[in-house]
Amino acid sequence: MLGSTLFGRLPRLERASGLSTKAAAMLVVLSLSLFATFALFLLNSPLAAVPLVAFVVAVAYGWVAHQDVTARVVTLIATTSTIAILGLITVFIFYRAIPAFRVMGTGLFGFTDPVTVFGVSLPAVETFWSTGSNTYSLVPMIWGTLVTTAIAMVIAGPLGIAGALFLAEIAPPMVRDAVKPGVEILAGIPSIVYGYLGFVTLNTFLFENLRMSNLGSLFLVGLVIGLMALPTVVSVADDALTSVPASMRDGSVAMGATEWQTTKSITLPAALSGVSAAVLLGIGRAIGETMAATVIIGHSQQLPQPLADVFASTETLTSLIASQYGNADGTHLSALFAAGVVLFVTVLVLSVGARRVELRMEKKLGGDP
Amino acid sequence: MSGEYASTLVTDETTLGERVASTVIGIGLLVFMLSVLAVARVVTEEASVLGVGLYDFLAGGLLAMGLGVFVVGVGSALGAFDTTPDETPGTVTAGAFGIIAAAAVWLATLQLGVLGPLGGFPVGLLAGAVTFVGLGLLSEDIGSTLPAVVVAVAVSGTVLTNLLTPAWLWDPEWLSAAFSGSMTIPTLTAAAALLTAWAGAKSYGGYGSEGRQAGAYLLVALNALGMLAVLLAVILFIVTKGIGPAFEGFSLYPFDWPFVLNGYSFRPDVVNGVFPAIVGTLYLVVGATVTGVPVAVAAAVFLTEYAEQGPFVGAVEIATNGLWSTPSVVYGLFGYAFLVPRLGGTTSLLSGILVLGFMLMPLCLITSREAIKSVPDEYRDASAALGVSQWETIKSVVVPAAMPGIVTGVILGVGRIAGETAPILLVMSGGLRDDAPNVLGSFEFTSAPPFVANDALLQSAPALPYQLYATITSGVSAENAVEYGWGTAFVLLVVVLSFYAVGIATRMYFRRRLNHE
Repeated sequence: MLGSTLFGRLPRLERASGLSTKAAAMLVVLSLSLFATFALFLLNSPLAAVPLVAFVVAVAYGWVAHQDVTARVVTLIATTSTIAILGLITVFIFYRAIPAFRVMGTGLFGFTDPVTVFGVSLPAVETFWSTGSNTYSLVPMIWGTLVTTAIAMVIAGPLGIAGALFLAEIAPPMVRDAVKPGVEILAGIPSIVYGYLGFVTLNTFLFENLRMSNLGSLFLVGLVIGLMALPTVVSVADDALTSVPASMRDGSVAMGATEWQTTKSITLPAALSGVSAAVLLGIGRAIGETMAATVIIGHSQQLPQPLADVFASTETLTSLIASQYGNADGTHLSALFAAGVVLFVTVLVLSVGARRVELRMEKKLGGDP
Repeated sequence: MSGEYASTLVTDETTLGERVASTVIGIGLLVFMLSVLAVARVVTEEASVLGVGLYDFLAGGLLAMGLGVFVVGVGSALGAFDTTPDETPGTVTAGAFGIIAAAAVWLATLQLGVLGPLGGFPVGLLAGAVTFVGLGLLSEDIGSTLPAVVVAVAVSGTVLTNLLTPAWLWDPEWLSAAFSGSMTIPTLTAAAALLTAWAGAKSYGGYGSEGRQAGAYLLVALNALGMLAVLLAVILFIVTKGIGPAFEGFSLYPFDWPFVLNGYSFRPDVVNGVFPAIVGTLYLVVGATVTGVPVAVAAAVFLTEYAEQGPFVGAVEIATNGLWSTPSVVYGLFGYAFLVPRLGGTTSLLSGILVLGFMLMPLCLITSREAIKSVPDEYRDASAALGVSQWETIKSVVVPAAMPGIVTGVILGVGRIAGETAPILLVMSGGLRDDAPNVLGSFEFTSAPPFVANDALLQSAPALPYQLYATITSGVSAENAVEYGWGTAFVLLVVVLSFYAVGIATRMYFRRRLNHE
């Protein structure tokens, strides 16, 4: 793929820059050696070092002798690498998940009773997750991820948008200048630090004060993840709100509307796509959040009984992977990759959705002076 | 310029109604804050305020608030105060009280043990609907105050008449948790105080659109304050817990800082430290920057300077956004499946570096692209007009002009990956140890391909975030394991947050300079 992109561009490059034979030879060596490095590395051969050296030499020669052509080609390669990495992630995660799909089939999403979801009938599994009987159903983990994400977004969504409204619409400039960077710094607190806080302090606090039967609950995980996602939502939603042209607000105020009416009926609807993109990003973060969930939750691969019991100690997709990869092999390991596939696909869909929503906002506001 | 909408048409001294309403808001804030502290068990029911038990004090405050709101609400309806209420309280207010009524009735049926958990549900919904429609028939001053009065009086009544005591316990069969009175009472008083203060703020604004603005601003400002308070409390908590262990045995002269300069020696007489983890994190960050950033900047240059909008650029954009949002644990799985078998077959520092480099790449690509995009076209045109080639222009005009933005993006990106644990967990691991990894001293030339070997790179290395995780999972047997963890968390927090602080300060500095030019 890489090679063909390069070769496809060669004739154009030649016309554009009147490429000399030496430069053309350098480009051929460069692309062939890169391709060979990649192929040999995929085949797990230590010989990959040889074409890698050739690639480096070719780039070095090209940089000295034909800098503009080389720069163009090298930057193109760098650009293509984004697609290549996403492709590699997709291929490898799916590839390693195949054995689990082969063993479990649609039972990977099976309940303890046979059920039909969206017209797909799912076979029953004896237990949800058992290495002993080689049975792996992701249903409890998917439920856990759903519940924690929902709790997190109930917290981070409304409170985050309200926080952004405060920063963008109400706060005086001085307060805003102090608080906005502060919020962005807070977005940087590593998740393992939140996790440690939850593990050492909050887990025991809830255990004692809510007289729980177990340490670690979906509720606490959702609470902590919501707190973590809050600064991200505030920051992105604030960017969306401030990007609404001031002329729109001024028009509304000139008509005699109060500031709050302006915020509610002009700014917020105009920035709605950006604000919902912020929430979507927050959901993506919450779904993929690993360490806080892993450290806090109690790791039992069961559906809570009854389902509404948010204080039960179950498992999320991310915490399943992080807690079990160490002693997993064969189908068990493959089932963990299947959990990764579910995460990856969900978040990818959300990200594409958020991007589309954002583009719509840019288009809508771009036309205004 | 917008942002300056001060409109003080009425500049008389405050009226009686406004004074009552602001007193209600003041008491509300006090009751709310005390209630939150009580939920967090910072203060308990044993505490007493002004000679009364805390919970009775909260209930009493709530009762006073209810009375105050009753006075301003009914007073406004009777024409005693100069207000401008609308004909109805509005959908938001009616809806909010409807939901509260539904929840209250449902919870009450659960408490009385009639109808079962699901049977009470339709009854609650019915109550909510009746409240919603009923409020629509009232004028705004009555409709938005009376329900709040009812809630405040009901909550304070149950507490003051000892219907609800700290010893009370509700242990529903369908939840693994039980709610004791000592947690439930402050939760209820906090919610009721917020609601009543909201109603008070509306009457303070004289109802109508001004009143709704006052109410909304109270809630939004409280939310912002509360959010900042909670997040600052998190940081302060970690700092107070971690600063002790982190500075154990610290001395300025002769300079010694055992926690930062020692390894984890498992010896009881020496302070166990995080030096190897700091070195490991340093290698990780530098390695990921070296591998990820040049690729990101090169790609950003190509996308903004060479490429034209088309399917290729569209695909790259989708890929970049996809990579940006891919969960870190999925990167870990990818590294585990792709890199680990190809780089020596065990978890290694090199795999960690590459995976974090892959994660850093999209972060820096997006920010670098924005930075290069924001370089004015005049720069490029001026350079081209002088006969400078496109690449020379990029090299000596565009990239230097975009450098502040690129650097900021890199610093913020590095701050994020420095705290990443999940990918390291899968591809690098490396637990507590005494000696730091020595990467620079381990390079060796070999006769077989790949001709260069580096044992330190191909072994697992410790890193701060993973070390913190390890103190939890391995349950380090030493008696001060928890303190050691807090110390590690503190150091990690300082490292990561200083990256963020520096990055954000750089950005503000350059933005300000740009705006003044």
